[in-house]
Parts: sequence; C-alpha cells; structure tokens
Amino acid sequence: MIRLEDLSVTIHGAPILSEVSLDIAPGKVTGLVGESGSGKSITALAMMGLLPHGSTASGHAWLEEGDVLAKTEREMCTLRGNRVGMIFQEPMTALNPLKTIGDQVAETLVIHGRATKREALEIARARLARVGLPEDRFPLGRYPHELSGGQRQRVCIAMAVALNPELLIADEPTTALDVTTQAQILDLLKRLVAEEGMSLLLITHDLAVVSGLADHVAVMQAGRIVEQGPTEALFRSMAHPYTRKLFAASSHQPARVAQAEDVPLLTVENAVRDYATARLGIFGQPGRFRAVNGVSFTLRRGESLGLVGESGCGKSTLTRAILGLDALQGGAIRLDGQEIHAGPHLDATIRRRMQVVFQDPYGSFNPRWRVERLVAEPFHLSPEHLPDRRDRVARALEDVGLEPEAMHRFIHEFSGGQRQRIAIARALITNPDLIVLDEAVSALDVRVRAQILDLLARLQEEHGLAYLFISHDLSVVRSVTDRVMVMKGGEIVEEGPTEAVFAAPAHDYTKALIAATPRIPADWQGEQNA
Amino acid sequence: MLRYALTRALSLGLSLVVASVVIFAVIEVIPGDPAAYMLGMNATPEAVAALRGQLGLEGSVVSRYLGWAGGMLSGDFGVSYTYKVPVADLVAQRLWVSLPLALYALALSTLIAFPVGLIAAARRGGATDYGIMGATQLGIAVPNFWFAMLLVMVFAVNLRWFSAGGFPGWEDGLLAGLKALTLPAIALALPQASILARVMRSALIETLGQDYIRTARAKGLSRRQAVLRHALRNALIPVLTIIGLQFSFLLAGAIIIENVFFLPGLGRLVFQAITQRDLIVVESLVMLLVFAVIVVTFLVDLAYAAVDPRLRRRT
Amino acid sequence: MRLGAQLWVGAGLTAVFLLAALLSFAWTPHDVEALNIADRLKPMGAIYPLGTDHFGRDILSMLMVGARTSIAVALVAVGIGIGIGVPLGLIAAANRGSLLDEVVMRGNDLIFAFPSLVIAILITAVFGPSALNAILAIGIFNIPVFARVTRGGALSLWTLDYILAARVAGKGRLRISLEHILPNITNLLIVQGTIQFSLGILAEAALSYVGLGAQPPTPSWGRMLAEAQTMIYTNPALAILPGLAIVAMVLGLNLMGDGLRDLLDPRVRRARG
Repeated sequence: MIRLEDLSVTIHGAPILSEVSLDIAPGKVTGLVGESGSGKSITALAMMGLLPHGSTASGHAWLEEGDVLAKTEREMCTLRGNRVGMIFQEPMTALNPLKTIGDQVAETLVIHGRATKREALEIARARLARVGLPEDRFPLGRYPHELSGGQRQRVCIAMAVALNPELLIADEPTTALDVTTQAQILDLLKRLVAEEGMSLLLITHDLAVVSGLADHVAVMQAGRIVEQGPTEALFRSMAHPYTRKLFAASSHQPARVAQAEDVPLLTVENAVRDYATARLGIFGQPGRFRAVNGVSFTLRRGESLGLVGESGCGKSTLTRAILGLDALQGGAIRLDGQEIHAGPHLDATIRRRMQVVFQDPYGSFNPRWRVERLVAEPFHLSPEHLPDRRDRVARALEDVGLEPEAMHRFIHEFSGGQRQRIAIARALITNPDLIVLDEAVSALDVRVRAQILDLLARLQEEHGLAYLFISHDLSVVRSVTDRVMVMKGGEIVEEGPTEAVFAAPAHDYTKALIAATPRIPADWQGEQNA
Repeated sequence: MLRYALTRALSLGLSLVVASVVIFAVIEVIPGDPAAYMLGMNATPEAVAALRGQLGLEGSVVSRYLGWAGGMLSGDFGVSYTYKVPVADLVAQRLWVSLPLALYALALSTLIAFPVGLIAAARRGGATDYGIMGATQLGIAVPNFWFAMLLVMVFAVNLRWFSAGGFPGWEDGLLAGLKALTLPAIALALPQASILARVMRSALIETLGQDYIRTARAKGLSRRQAVLRHALRNALIPVLTIIGLQFSFLLAGAIIIENVFFLPGLGRLVFQAITQRDLIVVESLVMLLVFAVIVVTFLVDLAYAAVDPRLRRRT
Repeated sequence: MRLGAQLWVGAGLTAVFLLAALLSFAWTPHDVEALNIADRLKPMGAIYPLGTDHFGRDILSMLMVGARTSIAVALVAVGIGIGIGVPLGLIAAANRGSLLDEVVMRGNDLIFAFPSLVIAILITAVFGPSALNAILAIGIFNIPVFARVTRGGALSLWTLDYILAARVAGKGRLRISLEHILPNITNLLIVQGTIQFSLGILAEAALSYVGLGAQPPTPSWGRMLAEAQTMIYTNPALAILPGLAIVAMVLGLNLMGDGLRDLLDPRVRRARG
C-alpha cells in the first residue's frame, strides 16, 4: 500500500499541488487523469523524490518503510528502481543512445547490488523476453536507435520492473505511440500487474485509457484531486462538474449537417510519391522509398473527408503533395479540374482556394510578426494590393471568435487554443473552398479540442467549406467527417461513409485500428447527463 | 564500422587532392611565372630560364601538378632554392619540434579542460562555477604568444626554472626535450583549455537535461552515477568536435610561438622562406600543415563512430 | 542582475576601444610615426602617459592607432564572413540534401583545413606582406564559420510549420529565406559575429606579430609585441601594455557576446520572468 497524504508542492513559490491525498492499493491499477498542467506528473516526481530545482514539498508519501518525503537522497537512490519504478511519455529519448539495451536493463540490477554484471545480463535477457522482446529477435547488444518507439517503451518497462518493484509509475506511457502499439503496451502493463502483483499508477490525459485499465480513478484539476473512486462507480456517477466537463469534451460530437454536393472538388489519381533516402558521400546514389503508392480518391465540394492512419503510413507525404509542396512521381492531383504542381510556380488562384492548418500551435507562426501580418500572409497570392486588408483580417478573426484587436499583438501572447483559432483565421482569409486540417486538434487538451471542433463545424456550414481531416485519432475523425479513408503502407486500404466504416469495417487493418482504440463502455455513460 | 571508416577515408583522400590543387594553384599559377617571381625584378631572362629548368617548371600546368603531387607521394618535396637541399630534409628536422609541441599542448589542454569542465557543470550556479567561468573567460581573451612572453618573464627571467628558449634536440633525451617544450606547451594549452572547459561544461549541462538522465535517476542512480555512467560519454560528442578544431589552432599556434622561445621548428623555416621568396619550401610546408589538419579531422571522425553507435550503422 | 552586468561591462570595454580608435583619426597625444631618439624608453609620466618605446614613440598613441588597425581588420573580416557565408548557408539550407548543399558543406570542410595562419602564409608568399592579407586570411576562414551557423539555424527553422504555411501561401524558397529565416536567425548571427570579431582581434595580433599583417610604420598591437620581445629583460612594460590592450578588448567583446546571447535568447528571457 502506498498512500499520499496532503501532498503539496510549490515551485519557486508558485503552488503546483495542493493537499493531494491518494491511496494506491497493492496489485491494482490506479489511474490519475487530468489535462496538461494539472499537476499529475509533478505528483509522480514527488513520489520519486525527483522534483525539479526550486521545488518544496510538504505532506507525506507513505511507503512500507516510511515517508518518502522525509528520506535523504541516498535513501531515495536505494528506493528508486528497486521498490518504485517509473516509465515516461517519450520512449524515443528515454534511453541512452550510446548504450545497448542489455546494459541499460542490467544497470538497474547492478546499481542496486543485486547481481554481478554477468548475472544481471542474464536477468536482463529474461526481463526483455518478459516484455515481448525475445533474445532471438532482440539481442542484448541492440542499440536504442535500432528499435521502434513501442519497442523502446518495452525496454523502459523492462528496466523499471527488473527488480519487481511494488509500485510502477507510468507517466503518459502511450501518448507518443500509435493506437495499435498503445493497445499492446497497455496490455503488457495490465499483465504485469496481474502476474507480478505490483501496483500501477497510470497517469494519463485520456479518460478512455483509464476506463479500460484502472481499478481506481482520481481526477485532477489545477493541482487538486477533485474526485476519486472505483472506476466504474466514478464514471457512472461523475459527481464533480469538472469530471463531467472532461467526459463531455472527450466524447464531444459537434452539431453538423452533411452538406456535400455531388461535385468533385479535389481529385487524386494514382498518386505516387518516392522519397530519396540519405545520400552516401558526394558521389553516392540516394536510395528510394515509396511513401505513397497509387492513391486515388475524390473529395466533393462541401464535404468533410477523413484520412486516418498510423505514423509512417504516408498520410503526411500525401498531404504535402496535395498542398503542392512536393512533386509527385506518378499520377495527378487536381483541384476543380486544375492540376496541382509542386513549387512556387503553382497558379495563385489554385493556391488561394486551398489552405491548411497544422498540428503544432507553437511552430505555426513566425514569432517576429504581429497577428495582422500572420493572418494576411496568404494574401501574398492576390496579385492586386488590397486596400481593405485590415478589415478582412478583422473579419477573419471575428469569424474564429477572437477580438479584431488581437491583430496588433504577437503570437506568444496567445494560448494554444487561441493560436489554433488564428491558424484557422489565416486559412479562411482567402475564402478557400478546401481547408486541409493536418492533425489540427491533436496537440490540444480535450476541452479546447471540443471548442475548436465546434468552430470548424460552424465555419463549414457558414462558408460551404470542404475539409480534408487528417488524423491518427479515430474518435475525432468519427465525430466530424462524412466519409473516411484508412491508409496503411502508402495505400488506402478502406474507404466509405464514416458511420458505415466504423460500424462494419471491412479491412482487417481497419478492424484492428478500431479494436485498439480505447473506449469508455457505452453503458457507463447514461446517468450523468441529468 | 568498416564501411563508415572507408567512406571517411575516401572523403579524406578527396580533401587532400582538392587542397593540393588549391595550394598548387595559389603558389604556381597565380604569380604567373614563379621563377621570375622568386628571382625578383632584376633577374636576367637567362637566369629565370635556368631556374625554371632547375625547378622543373617547364611543361603544362597539369603535368607540373602531377609531377609535384606524385613527388610528394614518394617523399620527394623538391629542392629548396635558397638552401640548395631537399625540402624533405629541411622539413623532417623541424617537424619533430612543431608536431610534438602541438600534441603536447593538445594533451595538456584536454587534461586540464575535462576535470575543470566537469566540476563547473557539477557545481552549476555555485561559487566554484562562477570562479571557473570567470577564469576561462579571461583565458580565452589572452593571446597565446603574449602569454608565452609573460611565462618567459616569470619562469625563465625571474624564477629561472626554465631556460628562456632554445631546444636541445631529442638526442639529449626525451626529458630534456620535453622540458624545453613545457613552457611553450603551457602557453598554447591554457587558452585552448579555457575554450574546451567551457564547451565541456555546456555539453554536460545540456546532456544532464535529457530524458535518459531522468530515466537513469528513476532507476536509482545517484546524480554522480548518472553523470559518470550516462552524461559523460554523450557530452563527449560535441567536445570531440572542438578537440579536432583545436589541433589546427594549436599547430598554427605552435608555429607562431616558436618565435618567442627560439625553437627551431617549422615556423622559422616558413617565415624565412617567405622573406626569401622560396616558394618551393612554402608550397610543401603548407601542404604538410593542411595534410596534418585533414588527417586529424579524419581521426576525429573515427572517434565519433567509436563513441556513437548511430554512426557505425549509418550505411 | 549578473547577466545585465556582464553585458554592460563588455559593452563598456568595447566602447572605450572603439572611441579610442575613432579619436585616433583626429587626434593622438603624439605623432605615432615621428622617431624621437632623445626621448627613447621613457617611463610613464606626464608627457608620455604610458612611456615611450626604443624609437621614442609614444606608447599611448601607438595603442590608439593599433586599436584602429585591429578593429578595422577584424571588422572587415567579419563582414567578409557574413557577406559570403550567410548567403551560402541560407542557400544550402533551402536546398537541403541537394548536390548544391553537399558542395557547399564540403567546401566549408576544406576551408576549415586551412587555418588563418596557413592562408596568410600562402597569400603573403605570393603577394608580399600587408594588412590586406590579414583581412583576407581571417575573412576567408570566417566564411565557413558563418555558413555553418546559418545553415544549422536555418535547417531547424525549415522544419517548422510556419515555413510550410508560407510555402502553402505560394512563397518561393528565396522569399521565405529572406522573410522568415533570416530575421529569425539574426540573434544567432549577432552573437557569432561578436565571437568572430574577438577571434579576429586575436588572429590579427598573431599575424602582425609574425610579420604577416600590417607593415611598418602603421602601428599594430601584434608588432609592438614583436618589437618589445627583445627587451623583456630590460623594459617589460613595453611587452605588457599591448598585451593588456588585446586582452581587455577581446574580453570586452566576449562578455558583450555572452550578454547579448542571454539577452536575445528567448528561453533565457522567459526563465527570468
């Protein structure tokens, strides 16, 4: 049993956690849910004694051998990795790139004096096999860069559970992973808890992940636990308004009417896109990699078309070709009958009719420009100088729910959600027919995401826009598209009306994707909407 | 690994060829007729023609280049116009002063910089760190040849611990040679060590902020263990780059600092050759210096691969 | 705060030397070229604030004019580095992975194999010694430095979404390089420029010390040191003063560079509030 009692943390005087109390039962999974900045990661770091510089913690974190917060650094070192293990969100950077995976797993054992180097490697071998990396395919001498993200997360898990700790803390362990990989990792964690009798503290922003895995759930907002209880009971009752808001946002369905006309707007015919891989030396021939392999589809005027797939499936490459950023090696892409070529020579009138919103609200804007100039940048396409440029920017900002005065400010003065609104305003400014939404809501917290989805639905109706909605998130695609395409290995493996595809997927891969997507059981949801 | 080494070796060879073409062009093509240039304004046409024949300057530019480059490959650097002896002999003696000096300084600089940078990074923000940062800031600003003069004033003139200059030659034993090179090496090494220590410190601090250090700490490694077992080797990658660059600075510095200590190294040879317009000596010497720098760059590339497994498999 | 102090001390030191160099165009305490054997090797005093050298020339006046030489050489060399290196870096980054990029980068590597001293030796052997050689030698070595810094900074910007947005807006690589990339790497270039400026001062001193830089009678700090070297037993002040001038100038520039970097780096700025 691990018990947090009135845990409070301040960093440089600013309160981050306030009186957090939480019981983590042995052999069970405890979920800690909250939006970014709610303090859930700091809770975990406090339990590990790894708080950042300038932090002060008060309260207690009771383990079998006493209060963790009262221990010296030396005592904590014997505790970490031994009694409490931890894994983190970003498996790509969590491993030392210069050491083999065998050495890194064995290190946990050697550091705690539990084994000699040779014995430790033997145990590491067994532990790696235990997490699904068997010796014959993943020898101990592999380096992290030779493994995929999911495989690296398995190595991290093997490291964290090498000494059978009584508590494993997993901080957003699957957020950086694809949905099918996420399902495998969650499955592995579940099995480890069941078979090794350890406790798991699962920290996540995703209610659905928690609902499928946790026995007990705590909801965190602004450094406080606002509600906690057994998972099913908590989901059924949702006593706290914040929990209800979070839940509503995560399954939000924007009100939208299908308005697709039977007129083709964007047609892609047999698109082929090859990549040159790195050149070897000055005379070396670059290799070739086919990222998009004979893709064809039609997007109708006013339609909302989804494109889903996991990382590396070719959807970003296809997007870049559609936007005229990269040339195709075969096939053709046409907007309203006019062919799209790559490069700056693309006809301005086509460019004007197709705009884009990207994922990253922080990298999408030149930090040195004011919002007015940022939003007006696509006017570069209009040959004539526009006297009413400022009015148009003001209208676009109002359209996305911002004050026109925002145009005088710099981008760093806005939050992530506001930035995404500005990105949409920039896309609207040329009155386009089509907006490509490239993971446009993926970086946002659920409640902000719901607002942006509502905004997109409203704008579609008001301006008769067509959307190409590219995402890895099936539930979002399901809630905002008329039709959906599933992409894998550079090809579209399934395509059809969204509801039909989700209700009765035809292709095995689509089935696997849908099965892997965590969902809150439907019958848990009835009672809170009173 | 082998494939990586081979591609680097190929690039080494290519760099040498291009560098030799550039040097050849500057010395033998740009001045027009090197023989006329070497003899000056008042030379008779007969004398110029004779020198041209003596230097092997007849024939097309291409055949001259090939002759020069081919000669160097077989150890024939031509004959000095002023000394009337083979350039290879002239250079060989002096190289054994300049090269050991540069390497001595490189070793000193690295030996000083590593612990200093490590301590500064470990005590980041503390008084020790501020002290080290201040001292290295000053160290960077000091010209090495002036520092050498100060060292002579203090240790040779006032304290008389070292001789003020000269070189006994390696025949008198390794220790005597090293002692004569010690003050020059310190003068060269301290400013470079200041730079290297700062690079070491910032590389370590950057590495300590990486996710895998947090992972290591979560495994139960103490701060010290995390630095020694994980951060140090990762921080070595940017430090290696600087060490490679420093060699070329140290070689140039060695040539300059020989003036302060009256060392019979390449420096004196090359500056005399410039005054006497002995282009053959200048050409070969410059090629030799560039060769040394390119070879060190190659060795640094190999060292990268030894440190970083990601490079070894990049084929 | 400490960061601010660093910047102001650095800027102050630099300003003193810049002003002294500017003033030397209009006025120096004594004529730097006039030999006055009667007053040779005077100690510091009222007429000659810092004393005189073995030809009876006023040390303070020579240091002032020497500052002018140093600053002019280093500044023009930085100009050459920026003028050629920055466009090359921008072009290489805009065409990442192309043969052009490869050629620019290999060319950079090649120049890195020629330290300034070696370039100066080559040029001087063919054209004879002059201050122009020092400028060229240091300037040529600055080209790959700026090309690398520019390319590195530009490459990280090219991956950002706002560059993609500009491309979707139909802007070409050149226009994006000038409108989006260049303004966002100016901080980087200012900091690197200060560093190269201070390295240029050091390199100029070294080159003129070995006779490859400014020629007599133009005073320069490096040659003052070379001339003082034979007298370090009898007149150590002659060897100490020009060295101190170099240290103070370079220290000032480096402090200013570090201060500017902290001031211009948004990460540091945000961390301070």
